[in-house]
Amino acid sequence: MELFFQRLIDGLAQGSVYSLIALGLVIIYRGTGHLNFAQGEMALFCAYCVYQFGEWGIHVWIALPMGMAVGFMLGALAEVTLVRPISNKSPFAVFIVTLGLFTFLNWLDGAIWGNQNLPNSGVGSKQQSYPSLFPNARDDFWQPFGVTIRYDRAGILLLVLVITALLFLLFNKTKFGLAMRAVASNTESAKLAGIRTNTVLMVSWGLAAAIGAVGGVVIAGLNSNVNLGLMFTVFIYGSAAATLGGFDSPGGAVLGGLIIGVVENMSSGYAQKWIGQDMKLAVAFVVILAVLLIKPSGLFGTAKVERV
Amino acid sequence: MKSLFTIREGGVASWVIRLVTAAAVFLVVLWVPTRTGAGTILTVIEALVLMSAAMSLNLLLGYTGLISIGHSAFLGMGAYTTGILVSRYGWSPWLTFPVAFVLSFILGVIVSFPSSRIKGVYLALVTLALALVFPQLATWKKLSWLTGGGAGLPAQDAQVAETGFNIGAQARGQMQFFEIFDWGPFGDLRKPDNKAAFFYWIAVVVVVVVYLVCRGLVKSRVGRSMVAIRDNETAAAVMGINLVATKAFVFGISAGLCALPGCVTAIKTGGVSPEGIQSLTVRGAITFLIVMVIGGAGSLWGPIIGGGIYVFVTDKTGSWASDDSIPGVLRPFFGWAKISPSDGIFAVLLILLMFVAPRGLAGVWKQYSPMVVRVLRRPAGAVGVAPVALAVTPNINHPEGEMQ
Repeated sequence: MELFFQRLIDGLAQGSVYSLIALGLVIIYRGTGHLNFAQGEMALFCAYCVYQFGEWGIHVWIALPMGMAVGFMLGALAEVTLVRPISNKSPFAVFIVTLGLFTFLNWLDGAIWGNQNLPNSGVGSKQQSYPSLFPNARDDFWQPFGVTIRYDRAGILLLVLVITALLFLLFNKTKFGLAMRAVASNTESAKLAGIRTNTVLMVSWGLAAAIGAVGGVVIAGLNSNVNLGLMFTVFIYGSAAATLGGFDSPGGAVLGGLIIGVVENMSSGYAQKWIGQDMKLAVAFVVILAVLLIKPSGLFGTAKVERV
Repeated sequence: MKSLFTIREGGVASWVIRLVTAAAVFLVVLWVPTRTGAGTILTVIEALVLMSAAMSLNLLLGYTGLISIGHSAFLGMGAYTTGILVSRYGWSPWLTFPVAFVLSFILGVIVSFPSSRIKGVYLALVTLALALVFPQLATWKKLSWLTGGGAGLPAQDAQVAETGFNIGAQARGQMQFFEIFDWGPFGDLRKPDNKAAFFYWIAVVVVVVVYLVCRGLVKSRVGRSMVAIRDNETAAAVMGINLVATKAFVFGISAGLCALPGCVTAIKTGGVSPEGIQSLTVRGAITFLIVMVIGGAGSLWGPIIGGGIYVFVTDKTGSWASDDSIPGVLRPFFGWAKISPSDGIFAVLLILLMFVAPRGLAGVWKQYSPMVVRVLRRPAGAVGVAPVALAVTPNINHPEGEMQ
């Protein structure tokens, strides 16, 4: 039983990272109907930036908002310069552009920081390991009823819940949130009602990338280093989470992320021989496929009505 | 648009152009193995593999409009089929090609079933997950009795050492590399490095086969159904096209064709593992997409052009991680980068092309070549009748559509 709770807690912490990526995907999808393939790589770029700020001696809690600011600018810039001009051409063009952005950002990270694990004493990093947002020393844990709750895991889960709550307030209690929801439900009508849809879309992309940046920093912290391939699998888990929760439901994305995290941890823990560490990704694959085949709108998404 | 020359399809001038083009392609194909070194030949084989993979992807994405980032898995199917059959069961490598095609065809059809419900980006997501899962599946402990696990094939056991994998040297009962014949004007076709030239000819045959299958399919009834599905799925269904069957068939053919370059890679590399063959990881799938889009989606020659350019640039810039090897003029632009700039160059090119020429380089050619020479098409169904300048509405979406 203790093992069960242990895996539950670990899974929730892992899943909260997927929630962050999924949130970013959902915010963009609601606004524009596009799937941003570069979401993970934008987050990775921000994670590298936070590492760089750490090298310059900036504390991680100050570096994180800076990284988020970088993410915001990156996302907004990508929307204004790349996605908006092409989005009226075809969905295929947008797909290729986000894929190009994906490749470009991954290359840029490598070009600036090299393709080794960072921090790395071999290239003169001052930091011992990637800065963690919460205390993560060997004895930083709390042990109620035999379940080990590490401070960093609990902190990450809390952070995600706080971010979700803030987003909820933004969407439901502010005028800008109202504008975002209006654009999501009908762009044309929103424009006619006097909403600056272009600004809304730009900010949505920026917001999505900034939230992704938190995800990138958190996963790099858990991994204790950052490398070029870090976000590939996280992106797949994140999109599995978004699919499960429904692509237009932020709450669903968070819940989906947590579920995926728990399922991943449980399946690799209880079926060690069959799934273990090697086949964890197949779980995400099966989840995506099953959801899309059985209920394509996900748990909380609205079914899309297609008119001919 | 005014053009310098206007010629008729089927006329003398058009035949001259065709023959000259064919002769040029033929000469280049002959020139590589006979007049260049082993290093160049191996690089060209890489290009040929990418070309055939991108052509098979083009069938799906360019002609049918189904997005796939999972073609690396199909290439992997081919590579592993050859690897397993040759090194574990002692098959002749030649026989593994059809088997790989069939197995990959089946996998493709299985993957296609969700695609009858899943559209657009969701399909991209499913196939991306497939691309990421495949290498994990291949290195899975439970399957290591078959795939050799992380170390790949051939595994280090006695039976494999006996059957061998290097087909040029050991495989029994089939043509071997030293049996390539001489041919007068060009000398020995296997010069200067026997093995490399041998693999080269296999890769050439695969490219030709894939090209012919794609061409035959695109120009057939199925091909027109594919384009109809791409341009308007509902309209296609209304016209009586069976969407599920057509998509399943195209997905299968595309997957099966993509397995063939996988077999070539396995034979060339002499072993199969995700570390050894990068094309079977997700990077490969993205590379196929880049090659196809740069060359021209929905065009038969596009992927061939794209593959050539991709490998040329990657090869030239491969060593640019160290600043000294960058040619002087370009050093200020690329000197700061810690890795080779090829990925960055292609990413920028990909995005740029989407803005200025969504149909790739082949599309640019189709758009601007009529300024010099315009070929008037023979009206459909009229053999030998003089072409009439029909007021046909130009359909830029149609792959072979003429720009009037």
